[in-house]
Amino acid sequence: VTPAEASVAGGTARSPASAKVPDEGPGRPPSLRQRVNQWWLNRLPHSDTWLLTQRNVYILPTRAGLAFALTLMLMLVASINYQLNLGYALTFLLSGAGLVSMHLTHNNLRGLTLHLRPAAPVFAGEAALMEVVFSNTGRVRHALALRRLAPEATTQDTRDGAASWAWCDVPAQGQASSHVGLVPPHRGWHAVPPLVVETVFPFGLFKAWTLWRPAARVLAWPRAEHPAPALPLSGQQAGDEQHARAGRGSEMDGVRPWKRGDSMRQVVWKKVARSGEMVSRETAGSASREFWLDWQYCGVAGVEQRLSRLTAWALAAEREGLDYGLRLPGRELPPGQGEAHQRLVLEALATWP
Amino acid sequence: VNTRSASAPGDAPPTEGAGRLAGIWQRLRHLPRDARDTVFQLVLIGWSIAPHLLHLPLWCTGMVLAMLAWRGRLAWTGGTLPSRWTVMALLALAAGLTLWSERTLLGKEAGVTMLVVLLALKTLELRARRDALVIFFLGFFLVLTHFLYSQSLGTGLWMLVSVWGLLTALVLAHMPVGRPSLAQAGGTAARAAVLGVPLMVLLFVLFPRIGPLWGLPQDAAGRTGLSGSMRMGAMAEVANDDSIALRVRFLGATPPPDRMYFRGPVLSSFDGREWTRLRPSFPAALRPRAELEVRGEALPYEMTVEANRLPLLPLLEATPDLPGAAPQLDGWMLTLRPDLQWQVDRPVGERLRVQASAYLDYRHGPREDIVGLRDLVALPPGYNPRLLTWANALRNSPALQNADTPALVQAVLNHIRQGNFGYTLAPGAYGEDAIDEFWFDRKLGFCEHYAAAFVVAMRAMDVPARVVTGYMGTDFAPVDGYWIVRNSNAHAWAEVWQAGRGWVRVDPTAAVAPDRVQRGQGLPVDAGLVGGAMRTLSPEMAAQLRAAWEAVNNRWNQWVLNYSRGQQFDLLKQLGWRSPSWQDLATTLILLLCAAALAGAAWAWWDRHRQDPWQRLQQRVQARLAALGVDVGPQHAPRTRAARVRAALGARGEALAQSLEALDRWRYADADAKTGGALNLRRWWTQFRALAPADGG
Repeated sequence: VTPAEASVAGGTARSPASAKVPDEGPGRPPSLRQRVNQWWLNRLPHSDTWLLTQRNVYILPTRAGLAFALTLMLMLVASINYQLNLGYALTFLLSGAGLVSMHLTHNNLRGLTLHLRPAAPVFAGEAALMEVVFSNTGRVRHALALRRLAPEATTQDTRDGAASWAWCDVPAQGQASSHVGLVPPHRGWHAVPPLVVETVFPFGLFKAWTLWRPAARVLAWPRAEHPAPALPLSGQQAGDEQHARAGRGSEMDGVRPWKRGDSMRQVVWKKVARSGEMVSRETAGSASREFWLDWQYCGVAGVEQRLSRLTAWALAAEREGLDYGLRLPGRELPPGQGEAHQRLVLEALATWP
Repeated sequence: VNTRSASAPGDAPPTEGAGRLAGIWQRLRHLPRDARDTVFQLVLIGWSIAPHLLHLPLWCTGMVLAMLAWRGRLAWTGGTLPSRWTVMALLALAAGLTLWSERTLLGKEAGVTMLVVLLALKTLELRARRDALVIFFLGFFLVLTHFLYSQSLGTGLWMLVSVWGLLTALVLAHMPVGRPSLAQAGGTAARAAVLGVPLMVLLFVLFPRIGPLWGLPQDAAGRTGLSGSMRMGAMAEVANDDSIALRVRFLGATPPPDRMYFRGPVLSSFDGREWTRLRPSFPAALRPRAELEVRGEALPYEMTVEANRLPLLPLLEATPDLPGAAPQLDGWMLTLRPDLQWQVDRPVGERLRVQASAYLDYRHGPREDIVGLRDLVALPPGYNPRLLTWANALRNSPALQNADTPALVQAVLNHIRQGNFGYTLAPGAYGEDAIDEFWFDRKLGFCEHYAAAFVVAMRAMDVPARVVTGYMGTDFAPVDGYWIVRNSNAHAWAEVWQAGRGWVRVDPTAAVAPDRVQRGQGLPVDAGLVGGAMRTLSPEMAAQLRAAWEAVNNRWNQWVLNYSRGQQFDLLKQLGWRSPSWQDLATTLILLLCAAALAGAAWAWWDRHRQDPWQRLQQRVQARLAALGVDVGPQHAPRTRAARVRAALGARGEALAQSLEALDRWRYADADAKTGGALNLRRWWTQFRALAPADGG
């Protein structure tokens, strides 16, 4: 299964986090086709589980199907003109198979249940992989293609469309999953774009597809500044730290109850084994290496630039094993460390204000 | 010096040939998927083209085989495809060669040649899926072109395999995931085709058989059979066409085969190259009329005539225009022409069944010499001077100076008998003075040559004469009571006019190939290696096989090939139409198709409400267990249910519990175990039902 990479145009300008459709070019009124598509989409409910029934599976002949019909017409004319009964038989055999393939194509989608697994947050500009699970209660389904619906790039998609499809087969009474990629252009919550599941199996004469608007959203953290300046440990703090290192190293100077965010290395396992309570080492270093990621003191102007730098610092602080807090206008997170704390910080940065 | 020292002892295969074959097989099984699909397509194209290779020009056969082999090698070795320019150059070459060998790019032969070359060429640029689709659609059309040459049962079966293969390849092209097996794709293709069969039958039975939409190209020449004219020397060789021309069943006595002459077009005018119907130069009153007189016993017969695309019925000689004897056909106008040939008002494009009576003892034509007979001694000036001189010399020879017509006929027939003439279906092409060349130089020909030369000789001696074409003789034995007359029974003979008697039939071919006429057999077709061996080993078995084959073939012909508008109307009559027309057919067909479409839509709609088979099974199991007094909920897995069964029924329920546990294992096993088909839900339910009867047992 190849993840479908979808690149979405757009800069770093902020836009409402729950934009349904990526922006269209400025000043260009939507074409009739786009308006119809939009109207069609708006009819669909948002849902993370999508049961395919006759009501939401559409089917039309493909270009190959039309060519096939033309071939059949030619064969029929030849049979009439040369009075070939076997020619009639062949033409009608193929017509019958072609029409049956319409039902087979429709059947190939109908009765499937699609389920979208929420994607893990990513940094803006990186690809978020969403897993779509196909559950099948019937016979085996072949060659299901999944991709994002990208109305603004319709023409381009059809040109190199084959590359952006993710294909999978679903076994009888089983499940299969396929991935679709989304590259959030900016931080914040992003609605998962409408998805298309399509199949032309078995003969490629008909195309059955469904449009699905998942309810799930993807969180994009701010893009981390790169290269980022060094952590802004204030002079006093830095001096203290060096002094502490020189004087006491990382000698143990006490224990305290374990709190969320303490790394495994800090846990005093001997004491834990004895007392049964989780306790952590308290080193001078850890106490003094506590600092604030502050909106006010980050050295750049501009909302996104500040958030970008704060993100880079948050990552650096976590790497260094520091306790860090976050101060944004109207929002403050107390210092801490560990994966959960980092997530909280990044989420705050992503969704501010 | 041990030359074999290179090969390590012990791992040499038993025989090198078998080892190599096994190696190729292994390689084939482990080819990358794309290469495997390509090889499959190439084999398929080869199979589909194969029957054409017999009658395609030699360059085309060579080129196609070379291109397929080239493409196969590329697929095998993973080489790169030739550039677009190479393909274009090959296409131009093929078009040029077609133009050179067929003298046209239009028409049947040229069209088939180009189609075959195009198909082979297209394999050389199989890049995208679209290219593959082009191959499939060309392939379907190619299959159709085979029916222009033969619609026999064998061809039908051969082509059925082709169609199946093409559909399989089409399915393969739409299975992009993994490496689906050919069997899997073939199964899907067969399933679609089989499900489509009812629709096919419906269309085949009811689609109105309308006539040709425009004039048929007359390029079906070069085969034995009837045509409205006869061109001398044009055909270097005629293929023996074993297809059936007509079947005849005698309701009373059966005449001997050597008297079964089926009269077709009578050719009286000769322009030096071509024989055609009489182009009279006298007013109607002066022309010879039929003046048929019949005597003796009538021979009633029933005949089914295949579509011959000529406006005539080749009836048995002589079928008079008398009440009770004359043929009757609904919707057709039948007339007896002055030359005693039965004519219909339009070309026969379908199978016709007629009943008529014939008389073997008859006289026809004017008894007295009338002016109109002058047309029948006319010869084109300047053609065949040597034969004219020879005939004059014969006429003026002392023995024949006062001879009557029968004596002259005997003299010419004697010349044929004693003049080292030979009978062959492949006499080679004749030139401008074809008859002179035949009569004096080559002396090789078939019935056309003999009849034409004989008539020219008679006319040169001032005896009115004409060529009659038709069929002569039948197969050895009747099949299902029908005597079969094939296109290879097509024949040409002569009629000379004799004062006081009228027209008398003379068959000059009998003078050189008495077998052809006396047994009424067409010359035997070369049976091929297997057929020949069969015939020498066991003539009886060969005959039996042939008879059985004929019977099957007869059914095939009757039900498939000869199904025509007449049968369609018969069917509608049986269904209650009083006087069906083709509009009725169309209406019925459209209504039935609409009904089928509605049924399809209804099924899709109903399918929506269908339950998951697993859940349905669980509900049924729950009901059965409840009848046994075991209370389980819909949410319980089979193993939970098994535990409850054990608790409630103890040892009595052990079999039931084990059955449920098997179901549980199957359901929650990993996917590999499931596809192994270890358990079939339906079969499991049957067994379970037997263990847990509904009445609680």
